[in-house]
Amino acid sequence: MQLEINGAKIYFEIPIYGDIKIPVTQTMVSLLVVTILLLTLTFIASRNIKKRPGKLQVLVEKVVTMLYNLVESCMGKHNLKFAPYIGTLFCCSFFGSVIGMTAIFRSTTADLSVTGAWALITTGLVWYNNIKNNGFLGWLKGFTEPVVVMTPMNIVSEIANPVAMAFRHFGNVAGGSVLTALIYAALAALNNVVFGFLPEAIFAVMPPIFQVGIPAILSIYFDLFSGFVQAFVFCLLTMIYVGEASPPPATVPATSEAQSAEVAPEGVEEVALTEGEIVVDSTTKE
Amino acid sequence: MELFLDKFEGFVGVNFWTMLFAWVNILILYLAMRKYLFGPIKNMIDSRQKEIDDLYADAEASRESAQAMEAEYQEKLAKAEEEGEEIRRTAQRRATLREEEILREAEESARRTLRRAEEQVELERARALNEVKDEVGALAVEIATAIIGRDVAGEEHSALIDAFIDNVGEDK
Repeated sequence: MQLEINGAKIYFEIPIYGDIKIPVTQTMVSLLVVTILLLTLTFIASRNIKKRPGKLQVLVEKVVTMLYNLVESCMGKHNLKFAPYIGTLFCCSFFGSVIGMTAIFRSTTADLSVTGAWALITTGLVWYNNIKNNGFLGWLKGFTEPVVVMTPMNIVSEIANPVAMAFRHFGNVAGGSVLTALIYAALAALNNVVFGFLPEAIFAVMPPIFQVGIPAILSIYFDLFSGFVQAFVFCLLTMIYVGEASPPPATVPATSEAQSAEVAPEGVEEVALTEGEIVVDSTTKE
Repeated sequence: MELFLDKFEGFVGVNFWTMLFAWVNILILYLAMRKYLFGPIKNMIDSRQKEIDDLYADAEASRESAQAMEAEYQEKLAKAEEEGEEIRRTAQRRATLREEEILREAEESARRTLRRAEEQVELERARALNEVKDEVGALAVEIATAIIGRDVAGEEHSALIDAFIDNVGEDK
């Protein structure tokens, strides 16, 4: 028997100019389905928001509160504006992974293009916030920290971050689907071996008994659990990277503090440092 | 344009169009969820939290004001009790004084009345004595006149005397 592991199926291609064609793939269909599903859920969840909540609203509020608490603990209170994006990303990622369980649609996150696109959004947010907070030169200068020799390393890690994020998420989900496919094939083979002695007429109509049950357990792990964990990890990494790029506005960035310490005389330097420590303490307590 | 090609993408590969599609999808979802889900829900949670906080703050404030009021009232009550006690004591003292005064006055007046009565009695007695003296004098004159004017028997004398005495009594 033969088992093919492929990427997303290309349903058809839309030619736009000359040789340039837009392929319409399984992934795109899944993305569309997830988007429509989430828009519907959003509509249902937000249809009737009241001060005295119903059961559904309590659930939604609980989830939203958890999201905001998570964002606050990871990025700080000043970065709560990112919470809606993190929530959206989590929903897209989780539902994108789980939609693979339907067997009709392919997991969106099993396509490197999708996870890559999301990772590039994270990098874009990091760079945008870094430049916004430190200025363009400050951002470039950040690559030479803590010593100039580290610059190539920093550049590599800056590129490696989104690549690693994209591949981690893609690898987990795609690997899970490959494993599920392999298990299915193996179970079919086992079915053939065990029931192969039966007459052709009975064997043809008999359901593949071994394929019932066992893949479901694996699917719970690879699609539900792994999908949840990967969505969470992706969001967590996004929060950490973006949170690093936009520190609390009250605290002085480390670079300018070091500069002022160099310029100031010794006595003042100590005061400035202790002040800085106090400020850092207060922010970490928050 | 062929429909339903039997073509697959590479297992590991990046397709720009899929990326663009993913971006567009997540952007739409982000905008929709921020506007219709996270925004309103978060606002609702915050406003409810604020309401609860306000409620608690109000309760705390009214509790404090009630406590202050209670303390004030208790102070007032204590003061009023003290004042009442003071008033009572003053009244008692005054009443005692008044009582003594009244008693003294009564005694005085009784004594005065007694004295006046005594004086009157004395006066009366003196007058009575004078009268008696006058009458006795007159009597003596009458008796003498009677004796001198008429010579009567013993019985006549006694009857005369009796009548005289009766007359005297009637005169009196």
